[in-house]
Amino acid sequence: MSNNRVSRRQFLSYTLTGVGGFMAAGMLMPMVRFALDPVLQKHAGGDFVLTEQKIADITEEPIKVDFTFEQVDAWYKSDVTNAAWVYKSGDEIIALSPVCKHLGCTVNWAGDTAHPDQFFCPCHAGRYEKNGKNIAGTPPLGPLDEFEVQEKDGYLMIGPSRANTLV
Amino acid sequence: MYFNANDVTSFMAQKEFIDTAIIPLVAIDLTNEKMKQSGAEADFLLSLTAFIEQQFKGRLLVMPPFSYSTTLKDEAMPAQLAAQLHNAGFKHVFFITCDHFWTNSGDEVNVIWLPAIPLESMDKGVKNSILEDQLRQVIPVFSTKWAQI
Repeated sequence: MSNNRVSRRQFLSYTLTGVGGFMAAGMLMPMVRFALDPVLQKHAGGDFVLTEQKIADITEEPIKVDFTFEQVDAWYKSDVTNAAWVYKSGDEIIALSPVCKHLGCTVNWAGDTAHPDQFFCPCHAGRYEKNGKNIAGTPPLGPLDEFEVQEKDGYLMIGPSRANTLV
Repeated sequence: MYFNANDVTSFMAQKEFIDTAIIPLVAIDLTNEKMKQSGAEADFLLSLTAFIEQQFKGRLLVMPPFSYSTTLKDEAMPAQLAAQLHNAGFKHVFFITCDHFWTNSGDEVNVIWLPAIPLESMDKGVKNSILEDQLRQVIPVFSTKWAQI
């Protein structure tokens, strides 16, 4: 017992290390939080929206699926209805954005009778292949955007859009 | 496109593509019997133009609605407005309205008249399908005009 006695010097150095450690942690913690915060942040608008489309009913032929989410614009809240062109490619479900990459019109599947297997933009006759690839010689300069998809209880969920990964 | 700073900037940059202006003509009737009907018409017309804008965003500019009360109605207004829009670089100018008054305004202005459908009691799905039906009525008017050049 006696050889384990804490000397005054030891006691002071332990206490100072402890207090100093707390102070250092108190300064470092907020910095680490700030650095990590962007990673922990939940992405607004990145949520998946449940649609009324059954996964089983999706075929190789693109169909239009509507989905609605709430948009807050300053003090004005509104329900926005958006749509996606959804089809099955092998086992994978593809959801393409209907917004033309030229000037933002809404494209239609088989909208042009001369090209029944393509997306067609009625504004300036822009055309896209089934995977969203823009056809050279028509006004659009990029492929259609793609939505992330998920399945929930047999129904389709549509998530955030991203650049086309199929082309 | 709407008549706001951002969209007008893209219009200025892309004049050869955005060649159509569309102007809603909204009648405001303040008599006791007609006021509600007038409100329903305005609601329908603005919902429909918003839907048209969504479909044809890259080709047309939707102007703010021109509203008039019964005494302020001016027969010469659409023709004058159309002339000014043509000067501003629009090849096609369409007026869209629920007011019968404009249906006989002659051939020099394009007036699209539609019967107002009261939307207030409908739920959203029905409303959307009604608007889609109405849009299908309007599309041929645009495409024939667009095909004429």
